[in-house]
Amino acid sequence: MLERIRKRSRTGNQNSNEDNTHADSCEQIPKTIEAVNVKLSEIFSGCSDFMHREISCGKKRSIRILVAYINGFVDKRVLNQDVIRPILDFFSNKESHADSRIFEQLKECIVINNDIKEADDMRQAVDGIVSGEALLFIDGENKALVIGVKASQGRQVEEPDTETSIRGAREGFVENLLTNTTLIRKRIKNPNLKLEMMQLGKQTKTDICICYIKGIANEKIVREVRERLKKIKTDAILDTGIIEQFISDSRLSLFPTVGNSEKCDKLAGKLLEGRVAIFCDGTPYVITIPYLFIESIQTTDDYYDHAYFATFMRLLRLMALLVSNLLPAMYVALVSFHHTVIPFKLMITLAASRQGIPFSPFTEAILMIIAFELLREAGVRMPRPIGQALSIVGAIVLGEASVAAGIASNLMVIIVAITAICSFVVPPLIRATMLLRFAFLAAANFLGFLGISFVAVAVFTHLCRLRSFGIPYMAPFSPLTASDLKDSFIVVPIWAMVTRPKILRQENAGGAKGSKRLEVKARP
Amino acid sequence: MYGKGIKRTGIARIAFLLVFPLLLTGCWNNRDLTEINIVAGLGLDRTEDGKVLLTVQVVEPAAIQSTSSGKGKGGGAQPKPVFIESYEGETVFDAVRGMLSIVDKRLFLSTAQVLILGERLSQDGIEEVLDFFQRNHEIDYSMTVLVAKGVTPKEILEMETDIDSIPAVYIRGSAENTVSRGTVKRILLIDLIKDMGGSGRQPAIGQISKAGEKKVITEGTAVFRDGKLAGWLDLYETRGYLFAIDKVKSAVVNVPADEGKIAMEIIRSKGKVKVAFENGEPSMLTVKVETEANVGGYEGKGALDSPDNLYFLEKTLEEEIKKEISTALEKTQKEYSSDIFGFGAYVHKYHPQYWKNAKKDWNDIFSKLPADIQVDAKIMRTGIVKSPVKKDE
Repeated sequence: MLERIRKRSRTGNQNSNEDNTHADSCEQIPKTIEAVNVKLSEIFSGCSDFMHREISCGKKRSIRILVAYINGFVDKRVLNQDVIRPILDFFSNKESHADSRIFEQLKECIVINNDIKEADDMRQAVDGIVSGEALLFIDGENKALVIGVKASQGRQVEEPDTETSIRGAREGFVENLLTNTTLIRKRIKNPNLKLEMMQLGKQTKTDICICYIKGIANEKIVREVRERLKKIKTDAILDTGIIEQFISDSRLSLFPTVGNSEKCDKLAGKLLEGRVAIFCDGTPYVITIPYLFIESIQTTDDYYDHAYFATFMRLLRLMALLVSNLLPAMYVALVSFHHTVIPFKLMITLAASRQGIPFSPFTEAILMIIAFELLREAGVRMPRPIGQALSIVGAIVLGEASVAAGIASNLMVIIVAITAICSFVVPPLIRATMLLRFAFLAAANFLGFLGISFVAVAVFTHLCRLRSFGIPYMAPFSPLTASDLKDSFIVVPIWAMVTRPKILRQENAGGAKGSKRLEVKARP
Repeated sequence: MYGKGIKRTGIARIAFLLVFPLLLTGCWNNRDLTEINIVAGLGLDRTEDGKVLLTVQVVEPAAIQSTSSGKGKGGGAQPKPVFIESYEGETVFDAVRGMLSIVDKRLFLSTAQVLILGERLSQDGIEEVLDFFQRNHEIDYSMTVLVAKGVTPKEILEMETDIDSIPAVYIRGSAENTVSRGTVKRILLIDLIKDMGGSGRQPAIGQISKAGEKKVITEGTAVFRDGKLAGWLDLYETRGYLFAIDKVKSAVVNVPADEGKIAMEIIRSKGKVKVAFENGEPSMLTVKVETEANVGGYEGKGALDSPDNLYFLEKTLEEEIKKEISTALEKTQKEYSSDIFGFGAYVHKYHPQYWKNAKKDWNDIFSKLPADIQVDAKIMRTGIVKSPVKKDE
């Protein structure tokens, strides 16, 4: 089945590849600007935001320059002040452009802007224009100047909504790649912080940035990340979520093997531990690699607060994770199979709450959980002002009315509520938990505790087998790495946390040749 | 993504691991809580024509919930928290199954709090009927077993009490409570089964009787000999018996002193029974009790202000306990000829060769042996005051 899915995705990609052309773009830039003009108009036909302007300067207006850019994408004030005005001023007294050094002059002493590159062929020129840079074509040259005058737009740096913390930085990443890398650079003032740029997406040409600290990050992982990114062949990268799916080790697993974050200080911490980050222009979510199971119960607050509380919170989160997975299943197993283990008094309470409910515990649980999931999904999708009303309706319908109507028992409402609360405690695993819960429930209804233990064994086996870029997912527990336990279910005080995670530096990390599991097949 | 070979071994490994949970046992039939009758109490008796009469007390959870939450449904007849059903069967299992034709749901026996045995059944012998309770997988071995004196189990289970909404819970609680007085032999089903099977100790079961229209009292002990009811011990004899077998957790012993009585609170007690041997034959039963007590109350005129007083008090207490033990021992020896103290177990353990031959006649041998009872009592504290408050001082 895997093969079939892969094949299908392959053919899908091929279809989209065919229309992905500006076929003639690799050719030389014509010498005359008339020809350039014709070419550009042809390429950008139908693009109302494409602007081009011809400047003639010099005494006899013999020096002709063509400026081309995308309207709104470049900062016009900067373009006028730093590029056009100096050109006009400089050439106002010049005789002609017989001077062949005019291209170098422009590049070296006329244009004020720092960010200048040369484009040697039409493809580079067009790429520059669509990435928000201004192009200067000079009559008689088969090169063009690419000038970075991109307008900085987008929202301000704000506190991220998805990850809140009690202490720590309130700054979150934004959609602008450069702003994001700056935020990291501000926190790690070190030339070893490497930022490697690349572009992905045939149509979108999205800027991607691999970020790591040289000397701390495992070179093998960095290399593997680079390799896997290069192998991505797709039309569009709209979010890091798409990259995530392409580069995950186990693409069919329920569990995330690639992490993401919106918080600057969290990302800085991950980088300093030796992880690799991938920024993507247009999204505030930054990917971190490798991502291990234990990270889902770690928060930045754990490191800023006292170790006692941090340890307690870690254990609490672990418990919440178990509860949100198992509680409904445990309840169903108890009331339908294992009556003998229920204490007498509890049994009476349980039996009393079940009295008159027309559904079996399993059906009841499924109904209530689905109702809750619907409510949650509606809450996410709804416009925020309506969301409030929804939560009130949900609380009344789910809680009071269903009990009063005799459809659900009081206890089941409590159980689903606790399950829901617990699932929100560990956000990275919400989706995995959501599906596993049903698996556990079905197993519990079928075989009781025996069924639950079946599913649990399967899940744990899967978890122990999972790898993230060659690093065992359950590290530091499996394989047991004693020195890394300092930051697992227990947290030692920060002054005692003197070594970096050992597991990230291990030999077989990344795409080591010995480990076949890591091989990522190239996609077309 | 993965090599094919690796995938196959991975699945094989998972399958291998999945075999292990199969070793865990579980019940395979899915049954909802609403589809069972929760049994709180069980009563067993024998009818005149030799059939087994099973009485069950079944809880109505909804009724309990509404009484405890105080939301009585406005004036209408309160639903009863329990209902009682009886059925006569040839055997216990037959009666349990036969019950199904009078009740609506399957009986769930695990929750039974008490098992009450009738007097007639006890006289006929309990070994046969208890077999079902050992065999059935749903029986909770920690239920309290009691023998009803002067009343049938059915009458006790049918009693409506104001103390707890579930009578069986009330009975169990009262038996547990009495333990702190040291006047009832509280025995769990598992211990009873052990006593009946193991050699050297005759079973003794706590006694329950009616104390009023809505009350029961758990005091005294039923003494069995070879599975048949031999007789009863009253509450003081019971205490003596419990002192000897190290089952007194706490108790209040009244000691006569100076035109009044002193209530001594036993806070710790250790009892040991032994059999002394001479020339390979048992010569003497010895009971040794060490106990610590506090002065709980002095309802008399004397004073407790000198060590001599306390020393005298200790002696009196020792005498009192000794008296209780010897009456109990004498009664079991002479009247019932049943070794409920477990002297036989001692012989079994330390003189196995002798035990092999004497096993069968042990109750008779036991009845004829002289007894030596030693009690050592210590007074630990006398409370906040030394002597009683007097008006004239």
